[in-house]
Amino acid sequence: MRTLFVLALAGALFTTACTRRQQTEAPSAAMAAAEAANKVAPRPVVLYFGGPSGLLVPESRTLPLPESNAAAAGLIAAAVIEGSANSAIPRLFPPDATVRAAWLLPEGTAVVDLGGETLESGWNTGSALEMNAAYSLVQSLAANLPEVKRVRILIGGEQAATLGGHLDLGRSLAPRSSMVEGIGGNGAPGSAPAPSGTE
Amino acid sequence: MKKILVVIAIAGMAAVSAGRAQTVMATLKTPTGERPIRVVEQSGNLYLPAEEATAALGGSLTGSRQGYRIDLAGRTAGFTADSRFGAAGDELIEMPSPPIFIEASPYVPWQFFRDLLRTTSDLDLTWEPGARVFEVRRFRLDSVEAQISVVNIEGMTKIVVQFPRKVEYSVRREENAYVIEIPNPIRTRAADQTFTSPLLDRVLVRENQIVVNLASRDIAGDAYAIESPFRIVLDLQRGASPVPDAQPSLPGSVRRPAHPPGVRTIVLDPGHGGKEVGAIGPNGLVEKETTLAICRRLQSMLASELGVRVILTRDSDELVPHDQRTATANQFRADLFLSIHLNASHSPAARGAETYFLSLEASDELARAAAERENAVIGGASAPGVSSDLNLILWDLAHQEYLRESSRFANLIQSEMNVTSGVENRGVKQAPFRVLIGATMPSALVEVGFISNPQEEARLGSAEHQNEIAQAIVRAVRRYKEDYEARLGGPAQDPARVGSAPSTAAPAPAPADRSGR
Repeated sequence: MRTLFVLALAGALFTTACTRRQQTEAPSAAMAAAEAANKVAPRPVVLYFGGPSGLLVPESRTLPLPESNAAAAGLIAAAVIEGSANSAIPRLFPPDATVRAAWLLPEGTAVVDLGGETLESGWNTGSALEMNAAYSLVQSLAANLPEVKRVRILIGGEQAATLGGHLDLGRSLAPRSSMVEGIGGNGAPGSAPAPSGTE
Repeated sequence: MKKILVVIAIAGMAAVSAGRAQTVMATLKTPTGERPIRVVEQSGNLYLPAEEATAALGGSLTGSRQGYRIDLAGRTAGFTADSRFGAAGDELIEMPSPPIFIEASPYVPWQFFRDLLRTTSDLDLTWEPGARVFEVRRFRLDSVEAQISVVNIEGMTKIVVQFPRKVEYSVRREENAYVIEIPNPIRTRAADQTFTSPLLDRVLVRENQIVVNLASRDIAGDAYAIESPFRIVLDLQRGASPVPDAQPSLPGSVRRPAHPPGVRTIVLDPGHGGKEVGAIGPNGLVEKETTLAICRRLQSMLASELGVRVILTRDSDELVPHDQRTATANQFRADLFLSIHLNASHSPAARGAETYFLSLEASDELARAAAERENAVIGGASAPGVSSDLNLILWDLAHQEYLRESSRFANLIQSEMNVTSGVENRGVKQAPFRVLIGATMPSALVEVGFISNPQEEARLGSAEHQNEIAQAIVRAVRRYKEDYEARLGGPAQDPARVGSAPSTAAPAPAPADRSGR
């Protein structure tokens, strides 16, 4: 059975990091029902941030989140962008990065629209930091929202070539255990297998 | 003064008028009949009333400005008030502008419905402006989807037409155009496409023809095909000897380059450039300048020590699009492509080199979907439902041979870089890096050190260490070249390409310090 289609921009989900214009019309009955379903309650989540080894490390948190996972996606993404609760752990995304919107597509893709002057004007960084930043979002969304199989990142509402000069954003990113310390990672993010012998 | 004010007033009125919505009547033809429909013109875009158009197609529209859902023929789609991106299933649909609202009713650019139908069904939507008619019609079952792209390289314009399968084709010259013709009707996202090129006027799709209108008559072209995926390429150059009129290429033929096997041409790609400066070290070292300096040293060493032809994707501080970098390598039919970068990490202690080769990292789920749908895609009948992810997986599968060779090449570079850097092996990795996508030869990206580490930054800025890096890469290329050319002598090798990588492979030399992590 096809997952219920929900198209929910972050403007409906969180109010501070979003640039959407104010809605002036009265909510429809469908929207009122959706809002009723989105009762906010504390929920334990696991977020991923950069660890000292260069891999991502999990951090357990409790966030006030709506019951609807579609509505929670933007808030989880925003928490990842803001960085670890431990101030000793460096932030992966630029300080002015924001989540403009996030929504879930019915076949398992979470779309996260990032904003902020640094990202929108071209983030100049190295591939290691860029990979960690992108996959901190991917791993965090996939770990907490079972319906998320992959993440598509937009920049400033547009399809961007890369996040920081290297990583292709023209496609969705699937979770990679090799990016995470102690799961698939071995000190080398994205480690490739040795070349095989005769195929 | 009065005249100036009048001009300003007229200009202001014109500007207001250009953005004003104008309602006009049109006709919507569907397989079940036709009806008048009220459409809106605004700022050069044409909008359809979402609810009415959805109903005419047999679907239903629900929701509010926070998100509209369309249920149509068992598929779901949607759009929101402020976004140019709608969705059909998991496919994003890009619109020329966000939806507009008139009397609280949503109107969406008509292209949304066209792409929605193309993505979810075997239907297409066309617009005839003269007759003011929208028409929904079925694709012919034998039609073939084509993706048209244009790349400008060193004064040449390459028109690349990609198909989901191999097709018979011919190319003929008309007075001011080239006409690419295949036996089947052609489907494209737009029948009239304009590209930024000094050599090109526009590209029109007419039934089973792609008409490439030239900017002037002194432009000549060279057409050929390459495989995996199948593409017809038309190279245009100004002032070249004109191709004899109406000289068709051999139908269905694939021109294989007359290219002796072995590593003869290497394209080096200095990372970043122009306004894309790359990473900047804590003491001000700039990545784009350092990568160019290393590549210049490497170019000289490779040419003198290995006798190979070496081409840089940029030899100055200029911004070169990612796609154009690999296009340059493809254009010169390079045997190796190497992109050189400096790394940066959130951890200032991070140090050492990392070498990447391409990964399109299909998830298990997507791989299953690919397996299920591959036959339909290759048959071409179900192309409207093919996702971009799936296309990438198929590209990935088709390029396994390049990936195997890329893995060998990357391991050799990492091995030699470990010796030079004298630090722990950070390993060979795979990542979906934009600059590696599209290379039709073994390719890798090496991060030669961490500019974010102050000690490494100082070394990376020195001529001595830049020479050490270049020497390490020369050693790696020499090892790859010798290994590859030795393997070419085997009986099972097929050096012909599209791609010079052999279809069989001997075990790669192990990195010297694989166990030294």
